[in-house]
Amino acid sequence: MKRLACLAIIAALAFAPAARADMKALEEAAKKEGELTWYIAHYTSEGAEELGAEFTKLYGVKVNVVRTTAQVAYQRLLQDLKNNQTICDVFSSTDVGHFVRLSAEGRFEKYVPENASKILPAFRNFDPAGFYHTTSAGLVVITYNTAKVKAEDAPKKWQDLLDIKWKGKVSTGHPGFSGYVGTWVLTMKNLYGWSYFDKLEKNKPQIGRSINDTVTALNAGERQVAAGADGSTLFSAARGNPLAVSYPSDGSVLIIAPSAIMKGSKRPAAAKLFMEYLNSVEAAKINAKHFAVPLRPEVPAPAGARPLSEVKTIRPTVAEISKGIPEVIEQWRDTFGN
Amino acid sequence: MTVAVPALVTPQAPRRLLSFDSTWLLWIAIIAVLLFLVVSPFVYLVITSFTAERTGEFTFANYAAAYGRARYIDALVNSLKLGAAAAALAGLFAVPLAWAVARTDMPGRGLTRMLVLATFITPPYTGAVAWILLAGPNAGWLNRFYVLLTGAEAGPLNIYSFPGLALVIALYSFPYIFIFTTAALELVSSEMEDAANILGAGAWRTMRRVTLPLALPAILGGLIICFLEAIALFGSPAMIAIPARFNVVTTQLFQFFGNPVRVEVAAAYAMPLLGVTILLILIQRLMTRRKGFVALTGKGGERRPIQLGPWRWAMFGYAMFVAALAVFLPYLFLIQAAFAKAWGRGFGLENLSLRNFHFVLFEHGTAAKSVINSFLYAGVSATAVVILTLGVAYIVTRRLVPFGGVLGFLCIAPFVIPGIVLAIGFYAAYAPPPLALYGTALILILAFTTRFLPIGYVNASAALRSLNPEMEEAVRVLGGSRLTALRRVVAPLLKRSLLGAWLLIFIPATRELSAAIFLYGPNTKVASVMIFDMSEEGNFEYLSALALILQVLTLPLLWIGQKALGKDFMLRRDAT
Repeated sequence: MKRLACLAIIAALAFAPAARADMKALEEAAKKEGELTWYIAHYTSEGAEELGAEFTKLYGVKVNVVRTTAQVAYQRLLQDLKNNQTICDVFSSTDVGHFVRLSAEGRFEKYVPENASKILPAFRNFDPAGFYHTTSAGLVVITYNTAKVKAEDAPKKWQDLLDIKWKGKVSTGHPGFSGYVGTWVLTMKNLYGWSYFDKLEKNKPQIGRSINDTVTALNAGERQVAAGADGSTLFSAARGNPLAVSYPSDGSVLIIAPSAIMKGSKRPAAAKLFMEYLNSVEAAKINAKHFAVPLRPEVPAPAGARPLSEVKTIRPTVAEISKGIPEVIEQWRDTFGN
Repeated sequence: MTVAVPALVTPQAPRRLLSFDSTWLLWIAIIAVLLFLVVSPFVYLVITSFTAERTGEFTFANYAAAYGRARYIDALVNSLKLGAAAAALAGLFAVPLAWAVARTDMPGRGLTRMLVLATFITPPYTGAVAWILLAGPNAGWLNRFYVLLTGAEAGPLNIYSFPGLALVIALYSFPYIFIFTTAALELVSSEMEDAANILGAGAWRTMRRVTLPLALPAILGGLIICFLEAIALFGSPAMIAIPARFNVVTTQLFQFFGNPVRVEVAAAYAMPLLGVTILLILIQRLMTRRKGFVALTGKGGERRPIQLGPWRWAMFGYAMFVAALAVFLPYLFLIQAAFAKAWGRGFGLENLSLRNFHFVLFEHGTAAKSVINSFLYAGVSATAVVILTLGVAYIVTRRLVPFGGVLGFLCIAPFVIPGIVLAIGFYAAYAPPPLALYGTALILILAFTTRFLPIGYVNASAALRSLNPEMEEAVRVLGGSRLTALRRVVAPLLKRSLLGAWLLIFIPATRELSAAIFLYGPNTKVASVMIFDMSEEGNFEYLSALALILQVLTLPLLWIGQKALGKDFMLRRDAT
């Protein structure tokens, strides 16, 4: 890992002069365009706003941050497309299926950021055709309120959430909104069959919309354990809230979330610069601050979060996600009522 | 109110029609505007519901899709049940209060009115957020106090339930019943009650057998409005029904706008909502019209407050109980959350922070702008409605053209279209090319304008009827045009009523959600949608801060309204 990182840095240095000239031109053009609109589902509102503000500070280009859950962002985008409007410049969803579909329909502008080759190797070249690129990664894990649940009592694997002792105490997001939750539901279904959710239903979970809603539910003491995101949970814990993370022994669900430039974007330079930025060291630092996986090897994993290399991760294939999430949303609605 | 107008004007009307007057052009222009605002979205809605998505062919498939699943039918049934439950609860809150305020010597009647007003200007979704803080099953404050007091394992309340949602909706729609009922009760003559007293009935019996039956049509009318409000509401169900795990019509409509976007199916699915609304409004109109007789017969009589004796304190207690549920408790905990680092941590000084306001106003890229958008769009819409409806009401009351009634009808018609259905109609009609208003501020402004036409029209025509046409005739005799008369004489004379109408439109328009949620674009987000988006992540601290900012900004307007028009200008009968 370290050697690879070194290699990456050396490679970056070697190409630096030429790249820098290109980047200067890109920055100038972006500054002229002045702003861009970013449909973003990757982060919490705070994380997204901070990333946008930092970009504005660096390049003088305003970012209209439109932060919603993945499915709402996608719904918004589909409406835009249906009405032949290009409002969104950069689209960042946590449901990989969105990128597969949009890319197949030719909705993206192809752009391979310089910086895309400098991120952790595991996340590089996510789309071999080069239309979308990993810009964020995180985990769905078991989270709990430490004031109510002792570490030794916390669930250790996903099926522990089905234990009757958590009845009325579990919190989740909704796959019809959150891409993280959708991917988690699909993974559970692959592992344990849909009966996992029939059983979970008996524990009467509180279902929010965003996966970040579980953080609020735990903080408030409304619920005690959750299928939550490691990033938003640990960020809140770092602020003094009674939260902790339990990495399930059957695997934390790894979410690889990409971004792409929309075809017909009216601010192509700003969009390209923004894609570069999302894979930059500056963005990785902000990500680390918000306990998302820093994609750049130069930036260490945040203190308190387990480095990704030490976590057992599982994830469905891109093809499975693309086909599976719309299905599990319907199944979820049938099982949980809406 | 003078009713002598027709006799004066009718003989002159034909002569004026012959001479070509600019009013004709104006009439055509207004008809065009009203067709555009009212008729076309409605027609598009119906057509769209019968149109196949890709081919544009005639089809019933959308109806099959909209009603083809048990879950979708359940949502319809849930909405009807919710409407009935919310209306019944609202009646329990409103009727005793209205009676006490209008007819008795209960102490604190002015205070009660003020608190009802405070309820009235609280957006339902703000109330829903507050009640999540109050009655969340484990963390809600009321449950925590209960556990603290009784030592029980858990509290009894669960806001994430059908009764919870019905309660929240009832708490913020009972002012409608209150307004209708007080208006009716204030017209009931004491003589009728005296008659009952003389015949041996006590105060309670009199109220039950005489006063209430007289006010019954008004009460039923109010119940109907509450019912319709409840089934057309989007914000509170979205925040409460999703965790409570049931669907209602409006949340289901929102799903049809999901992936894939199925406007056609949504249009088909919106039809029962429209049908029920039209039917009930008709019934309500019939009933309240009958009430008119009662009011007139009672009008000459004297009205004295009923002496409640010691019961007046019980009544006052009930009024304060309702106020506690609707105003005191919700605002207390909204304020707590808005100034808290984490709302669950309580009232301690170490939990106090201005961070939420700072984030919402300065760090968040679009939250502050969304508030500005709300006020801007509401301001433009309210102005447009006031000007348009003044014009129409003038033409209609002065009988300047034949078939003027059609214009009046078109202005009133949007009243029977729920906001969410109106939005789908607007979306179907104007979002795609040729107009391509999708995502523009204009489509929001147009939808708001249409939505609030009825309020504007009712106010404008009431105001105009109180104006003697002789003053305008004077302008005409001296060679001024109709428009001059309207601009220089009518508008200045009606300044106060027009301001009142403007505020009555502006204030609700700043918090409109159920139409905005379908029509906003990323750059035209309004505060209500912003609040809704923030609720996705459950950030109640930010949410509360933004909701409070919205409320505080409304206060100066309320103050202006009360200065110009009297304390109860929002609660008057003709105002709704």
